[in-house]
Amino acid sequence: MKWWRSGRAIAEPAIVFLLLALLWEEAVAIFGIKRYLLPPLSEVLSALWQGRMMILKETWITMGEILLGYFCAVLAGLLLGLGIFAWPMMRRTLYPVIVLFQGLPKVALAPVLVIWFGYGLASKVLMAFLFAIFPVVVATLGGLAGTPEHLIEHFRAIRASPMTTFVRLRIPAALPSILDGCKTAMPLAVIGAIVGEFVASENGLGHLILEANANAKSELLFAALIAISILAGILYMLVEFVAKRVWWRAL
Amino acid sequence: MAGAVETQPAIRLRELSKTFAGAQRVQTLDAVGFDVPQGQFTSVLGPSGCGKSTLLRVIAGLIPPDAGARVEVMGHAQSAPSEDVGVMFQTHNMLPWLTVEKNIRLAAEVRALPAHEITRRVESILPVLRLESFRRHYPHQLSGGMRQRAALGQMLVLLPQVLLLDEPFGALDALTRDQLNVELLRLWQDLRKTVLLITHSIAEAVFLSDRVLVMSDRPGRIVEDVAIDLPRPRDPQATKERPEFARYVVHLQKLMGVA
Repeated sequence: MKWWRSGRAIAEPAIVFLLLALLWEEAVAIFGIKRYLLPPLSEVLSALWQGRMMILKETWITMGEILLGYFCAVLAGLLLGLGIFAWPMMRRTLYPVIVLFQGLPKVALAPVLVIWFGYGLASKVLMAFLFAIFPVVVATLGGLAGTPEHLIEHFRAIRASPMTTFVRLRIPAALPSILDGCKTAMPLAVIGAIVGEFVASENGLGHLILEANANAKSELLFAALIAISILAGILYMLVEFVAKRVWWRAL
Repeated sequence: MAGAVETQPAIRLRELSKTFAGAQRVQTLDAVGFDVPQGQFTSVLGPSGCGKSTLLRVIAGLIPPDAGARVEVMGHAQSAPSEDVGVMFQTHNMLPWLTVEKNIRLAAEVRALPAHEITRRVESILPVLRLESFRRHYPHQLSGGMRQRAALGQMLVLLPQVLLLDEPFGALDALTRDQLNVELLRLWQDLRKTVLLITHSIAEAVFLSDRVLVMSDRPGRIVEDVAIDLPRPRDPQATKERPEFARYVVHLQKLMGVA
């Protein structure tokens, strides 16, 4: 009966999507919604198909910005988390700076970044980075601090060095939490890149949305929105796929 | 004993007090002093909260005693964890991301023993603990009893001379607990190690031990030292049916104020 169950896993969400699509298409007709407010799904899909090469190209650019920003954020977040945890000096000095910085609405930083780094790739990567880094730092710190006391005592009893305890106990014990942070960070990196494109850009999906809006091509605007959500969904599933390899949970 | 060569005790405690400083100073141990001869199976019996676990952690070198105490294990002052001592607690110390076999190897790997020596030790430990067919299982796949058996293996892999057991089977059901106590006894007879067992079960203490030390309520003091003169090897059925067994149990119950 395995095929039946895996079949259901695909069929059920497919039916829900189909119903939502139907609702969209029919509601527009029934309530007479103006096309510039919400075009019928069929037109959005046809715009998506006709502009597929262009949309794919823009998606590719946005994906590059997201991934670059995301990987830098994960790497830097991990290193910062480890550093702040391991060195009290860093906790005293750097941690308050990060917390303060996090409170700043990062959207407000976008214009500054454009002034500093120009219209190109760098300002968008940096936006994605800024949106994504904080949850990684917090999750790394929380995971490291959450190592069960009795296991730390056990490592003391077997006379493990602080380094060994770090590598063989604290890191693997923190991994589930760290990966939760990485999962939270991915959608934030997407938001960061799009916000960056909104403020100033010559390409990318965010730019496409602005352009479609300016030219009153609402079906293209919605096509771009669909492309973004598909991209974000795929990227999130990739992170989740990696995260599944860390299966140990509650200690 | 003038002139005779005195065998060095496995554990020697003198004037061992322990006060925890904090918002409130709490004295947990009060001038505890006793010797445990090598090879002896000794139990420390006491009500919960009397400082038994603190006593064990001090002997293990995990926490320091108050100034003026003497704590020696195998003739060496015990101020930090040492090679001579193995500790086991009620909650097992297995890492959930390692298999049983790798968990048992861990302590030896941390001590940087040669790989072939670790393998040799693990291969001798697994059959004794009847864990051979579970070596590739992860802790969460094991029953409570098997997890504690693996925890015994974690302790034995460093070949300690003195085993400090803090209610090792306390979280298990009565049946599994009895079973594991019998296995522990067999293990002790085969390995000839010194055991100091912390427990609050009177029957368990009498059945297993050569000697039972009774501790008072906090601050913990040793109030009685009872030699258990029951023949060995002990049988879970026959030993408990002996009249002396019942007499020891009643005597200890009176000391602990439960009879």
